[in-house]
Amino acid sequence: MSRRGSPVRLVVALSVAAVLAIFLLYVSVTGGTPSIQPSQLHGRTGVVALDGKVTGTPAGDAQADGLRFHMRDVSGSGAGIPVVYRGSVPDMFEVGREVRVEGRLQDGVFVAKKDSLRTKCPSKYVAKKS
Amino acid sequence: MPELGRAALALCLGLALYALIAGAYAAKTRRRRLAHSAQNALLAAFGAAGAASIVLLAALLRNDFSFKYVAEHTSRELPTPYTISAFWGGQEGSLLLWLLILTGFSAAAVALSRRSAPDLLPWAVPILGLVASFFAFMLVAVSSPFATQLAPADGAGLNPSLQNPYMMIHPPCLYLGYVGLTIPFAFAMGALLARRTDELWIVATRRWTLFAWTALGIGQLLGSHWAYVEVGWGGYYAWDPVENAALMPWLAATAFLHSVMIQEKRGMLKVWNVLLVVLAFCLALFGTFLTRSGVVSSIHSFSVSPLGGWFLGFIAGITAGSLIVIFTRLPLLRSKTRMESLVSREATFLYNNLLLVALCLTILWGVAFPILSEAVHGERITVSSPYYNFFLRVFGLPLLLLMAIGPLVAWRRASLRSLGRSFAWPAGIALAVGVVLLFLGAGSSWIGLVAYTFSAFVLASIGYEFVRGTRARKALTGGAWLAAFVELVGRNRRRYGGYIVHAAIVLLAIGVVGSSAYDTVRERTLAPGQTMGVSHYTVRYDRLVKRDGPNATEFRAILGVKKDGRSVGTLESGKNAYRAEDQTSNEVGIRSDPLTGEDLYVITDAINPNGTIAFKVLVKPLVNLIWISGVVFLLGSVVALWPSAAEQRRLASRYRELRAPARA
Repeated sequence: MSRRGSPVRLVVALSVAAVLAIFLLYVSVTGGTPSIQPSQLHGRTGVVALDGKVTGTPAGDAQADGLRFHMRDVSGSGAGIPVVYRGSVPDMFEVGREVRVEGRLQDGVFVAKKDSLRTKCPSKYVAKKS
Repeated sequence: MPELGRAALALCLGLALYALIAGAYAAKTRRRRLAHSAQNALLAAFGAAGAASIVLLAALLRNDFSFKYVAEHTSRELPTPYTISAFWGGQEGSLLLWLLILTGFSAAAVALSRRSAPDLLPWAVPILGLVASFFAFMLVAVSSPFATQLAPADGAGLNPSLQNPYMMIHPPCLYLGYVGLTIPFAFAMGALLARRTDELWIVATRRWTLFAWTALGIGQLLGSHWAYVEVGWGGYYAWDPVENAALMPWLAATAFLHSVMIQEKRGMLKVWNVLLVVLAFCLALFGTFLTRSGVVSSIHSFSVSPLGGWFLGFIAGITAGSLIVIFTRLPLLRSKTRMESLVSREATFLYNNLLLVALCLTILWGVAFPILSEAVHGERITVSSPYYNFFLRVFGLPLLLLMAIGPLVAWRRASLRSLGRSFAWPAGIALAVGVVLLFLGAGSSWIGLVAYTFSAFVLASIGYEFVRGTRARKALTGGAWLAAFVELVGRNRRRYGGYIVHAAIVLLAIGVVGSSAYDTVRERTLAPGQTMGVSHYTVRYDRLVKRDGPNATEFRAILGVKKDGRSVGTLESGKNAYRAEDQTSNEVGIRSDPLTGEDLYVITDAINPNGTIAFKVLVKPLVNLIWISGVVFLLGSVVALWPSAAEQRRLASRYRELRAPARA
């Protein structure tokens, strides 16, 4: 590595690495979406990914004027945030499931981006309590 | 019974610790008999892990719900194949599978290397013992599969989304890959600790690396196909952290498989190679950690468990320990030769390595970013597909180009004239393909056009290599074309197996580009009798049928499909409502065109009470090439893996010569 001529190459390699690192930092800072829970949402209107639990009674048509439900923190605490969503609804969507949805707060309602709803795969399948 | 399992695991831990401590002491003080006994301890550890596995398997098959693990992951109705797959359906069981495969591989590597690499073994054994000790300790103290309880009447069952034939093969295949990377890691460290810094460790573990890499690659493709046909969102890879967890070590191992060739041929890149093998192994551990800890919010984060801290600690320890060993051996790792030109075979290998590692590290950065950003300013920031897709293009397209160029460039120093001669045909064909595709309308995605031109270049250069080699061999032996071809591949399995794998990667690239850059998506709500047009297909919703399946009520929309105005039959797409589990699942309808590799993919988004159905229809050109590439990939790997007696003899004599003066 440290023989004649190679310091040049080392410098080139290091600068390429540095440029790359800065670029990465740049892209991920500007291109990323903050993920937060409903209790952290208060008032912020930028695009975020909301992680939480489905509460309330989901109503409405996701293919038409929107599916409406509420979301609460995963721990179950905090006030429910009303969500309106259009697009594909995953198979496992139901009350009590952990979901993630991307969108922004508009007039107190979290308006989700189309097709952004994801359910979290439950780690263990728990049979329905009879 | 659970006592037997616990005892077997405790015994396994003891044996692994013995292999670690006695093995290290024996290697340090050069005691041959003690070293031998440490090797035997590893063999016995495999027996102990096997016994523990049999206990768990028996408990699963007997529905012994006094085992907590059995009760939490199976039920009486669960079909037997899924009962077996529950072995790796949960955290404790999959750790046991890790340990079983690890001790099995270790035992095999010890048995196989006693003659071929006796100088490396004394130090490789304690490293293997160290990794086995960690997993055995986790199973004994932190996450035991043999915890017991008062048996409930029935178990909780297996998550319905895991009840799929792919569950039988996809996870074990990935595990073979993750665990397999331990062997080259252990031998690399063994070689450094033994101060044996030639490429013996690479030669001794080449097949292990190839095998692990193949299993990891095939495992990922199986997972993609599972997602494509079952999960039903129309894609096959979502850059989910758990998917990336398998891709990262695969990329690092791909870089490693290429760069070791430079060390073997030219004695260069020794430090780089040990760094790569450490990276690949740590990423394999990190992959296991990601799937098992739930630290990164992921759609399949399986569990939030106390495992996380232990795993991170172990990964940090392995990384630090390896770096210290490499650092202390740096003077021994000096290259004997230097790169002579930036236009040479070894230089293209170097560029390929930089790109692969860069891609691997950008993915790692994306995966770790939510954790890092949370640690730094208290808020998780996630990056998603656009980030990864961007870097896949930035690093993937040059990689594709290098795959075409590499085989055509001479070792050491390539002259412009020889380059021109070997490039003329492949580059000409690639340009012609590019122009034709442009006229056919592929210009709608310039990335796609570039990728396809490069792909044509790779295929043409591989074809050129095969033709050139076969012609040379025919001239030499004077036999028939086919005989010359078979002999060519048979005599250079590694090289031509590698070319076949390259062809597979090109097929994969063509499939991925076709199905993502040239796909069509349409959504519409249809009443019975209505039609919608998607690309050159017309889909007519005929009627809805409801029928009773074995464990679900199945709703199916019957669709009449026309392609280019001609009827090509019907397609079913709908939903299943699982009765016991109270869940619904999308059952997509897929019509594959065997000639063009194109899929018509119909998702039933919503079945409305008024009789209409919301459909999402995708046309994915060339997507089937992705699955075909898996078969070609496997074929190429097998060709490269297949032992060659001539090669073994050549290597054996080479290292015997090398060893003789060292002993004198």
